[in-house]
Amino acid sequence: MALLKNSSIWIAFLVTLLGLPLVFDSILAISIMNQIAIAIVFALSYNMLLGQGGMLSFGHAVYFGLGGFLSVHALILIEFETMVFSILWIPLIGGVFGLLAGVFIGSFSTHKAGTVFAMISLGIGELIAASSLIFSSFFGGEAGISGDRTFGPTFFGFDFAQNIEIYYVAAVWAFIATVFMYLFTQTPAGRMANAVRDNPERAEFVGYSSRKVRFISFCASGLFAGIAGGLFALNYEFITEENLNAATSGRVLLMAYIGGLGYFIGPIIGAVVLTLMNSLLSNYSELWMLYLGIMFLLTVMFLPRGFAGFFMMHQLAWIRGNMKMLIKPYIITGIPAVLFAVCVIALIEMSHTEDEVFHYLALELNPASPITWIVLLGIAGGAFYAVKRSLLQLNDAWETANAIPKEEEA
Amino acid sequence: MAILSLVDVKKNFGITEIIRGVSLDIVEGEKHAIIGPNGAGKSTLFHLISGRYNVTAGNIRFKEEHIENKPPYEIARMGLARSFQVTNIFSRMSVFENIRCALFWSMDYGYSFWHLLGRQTELNDAAMHVLEQIGLTDKAKFPSGELAYAQQRALELGIAIASGAELIMLDEPVAGMSHSEAQNTVELIRKITEGKTLIMVEHDMNIVFDVADRISVLVYGEIIATDSPENIRANPKVQEAYLGEVPSA
Repeated sequence: MALLKNSSIWIAFLVTLLGLPLVFDSILAISIMNQIAIAIVFALSYNMLLGQGGMLSFGHAVYFGLGGFLSVHALILIEFETMVFSILWIPLIGGVFGLLAGVFIGSFSTHKAGTVFAMISLGIGELIAASSLIFSSFFGGEAGISGDRTFGPTFFGFDFAQNIEIYYVAAVWAFIATVFMYLFTQTPAGRMANAVRDNPERAEFVGYSSRKVRFISFCASGLFAGIAGGLFALNYEFITEENLNAATSGRVLLMAYIGGLGYFIGPIIGAVVLTLMNSLLSNYSELWMLYLGIMFLLTVMFLPRGFAGFFMMHQLAWIRGNMKMLIKPYIITGIPAVLFAVCVIALIEMSHTEDEVFHYLALELNPASPITWIVLLGIAGGAFYAVKRSLLQLNDAWETANAIPKEEEA
Repeated sequence: MAILSLVDVKKNFGITEIIRGVSLDIVEGEKHAIIGPNGAGKSTLFHLISGRYNVTAGNIRFKEEHIENKPPYEIARMGLARSFQVTNIFSRMSVFENIRCALFWSMDYGYSFWHLLGRQTELNDAAMHVLEQIGLTDKAKFPSGELAYAQQRALELGIAIASGAELIMLDEPVAGMSHSEAQNTVELIRKITEGKTLIMVEHDMNIVFDVADRISVLVYGEIIATDSPENIRANPKVQEAYLGEVPSA
């Protein structure tokens, strides 16, 4: 562990990963945690491209999906005893094929960053997604392909029939992959990826081909996306075209962005938040995708450095011991902000519902009555005004909390 | 012996000739200044030598090897480093990281993804040493994009000299600096280019005449004179090109 700075953070991460099932042990919770472990690896691998390397990809699901398909094929081969090894190693198979796909596609797509790279990634994404429907002997057409993870040699008696067993496999893999992705950022290749992101031209004048620097990040990113695909295959035991198409590519972009591209932990936060929204919110509202979209828009507009950036913003105030100055203004702005959100969501849901009585929080609202609408609109308007007014005070408090003390100015 | 030699180098952009046949030998160890009016092609000439632009015709040899039309990174690896007129740094990285990135190749790290930077004591010490030289030690962890202008210029210079290249090319290293800042920078340039070859583009004639062993005058894409500072000052062709702007003292 001496390899890692702040080893206590890593130990805490590992303990959290392994300890979560002791706290949340329902079938739903285990299933969500499996998805989170997969999403963390996938989102971190995406951030190697966008956050660390400045490559905006619209087709990252390709490496995830190809890794996943190969992994399901490997499961099938294990089932028919063509290959004999423990399914523990399946994510590695996904990783190797993610890497191979990365080497092949990266060889021509990393020539330039920016729009050219983005367009090529979009094109490749569409190409692979379309091909997967055409070459149905390998990809299984729209139904996809499925395997069975309970074959092959058992591991100390575990046959991985239970989801909880797969969770531990996924958690350990996610931990290992996270450690290696972090270590990559601490190497010359990882640092030069940042340098090329910031200024590809200058990187060339200090001796580095910006193309080759991008290529290395791209391949590494493909490797880890493939590992995530392998974990997906183990968890669900099937995979379809949906897992390598543009929707999946879009989702991983959202995770990394909402979490915060500039911070290593950002995509982890994004993966957790989006997976939770996806799994929990979808139970309550058919419109959860709309809320996700609104959240993305608000993040782009007001928190361009994501959730992680929002937390890190408070570093200075924290160091100066001024956090308490911010608590009150945050509450004063926070309460009307929550009220506003609650009313807007009620209005959106009401315009969508066909029921006569609309159950919302503890209330029973009547969508047919204009009074309901007027009251909600009124509260929303008032809350919005209150937020706007209190933002000024919040801003002042922020300035004071972050102000440079007199003695430091000189 | 010439460390760098240009033979009839030409550069066109479309039908516009920017460099119209430049031949120049830079002697190993000399401090060479290139001066000339705005738009003469000084920066273009730098870009041609350092590989940012391809030449239209002619050839450039560095340490006997042809470097025309080679990519910048290959030329940089041979020991030719340069700075830019407009600050050109890794703006989202810290000052220390900027310098460390400039050191990787010369310290044989290549594209390594198996060396952990925290453990490379020699590399980190070398980076701190460069920071000391350029006077940015206390800004090591500071985001480089948020430095004051003069400090960014110092960093710009630091990135160029970090690798210990034999030939250093500086494009207006003191542009926009106050008088005292410029003086400090000149001292720094003198110190770090000791025993090395320097090519410098500069508008401040006092600095040029102070630092340079030889001066080339570039006018409309052609070198009209290459000589010692005294002879350049006395050259009627140069005086004509500058309309008497060459300082007499």
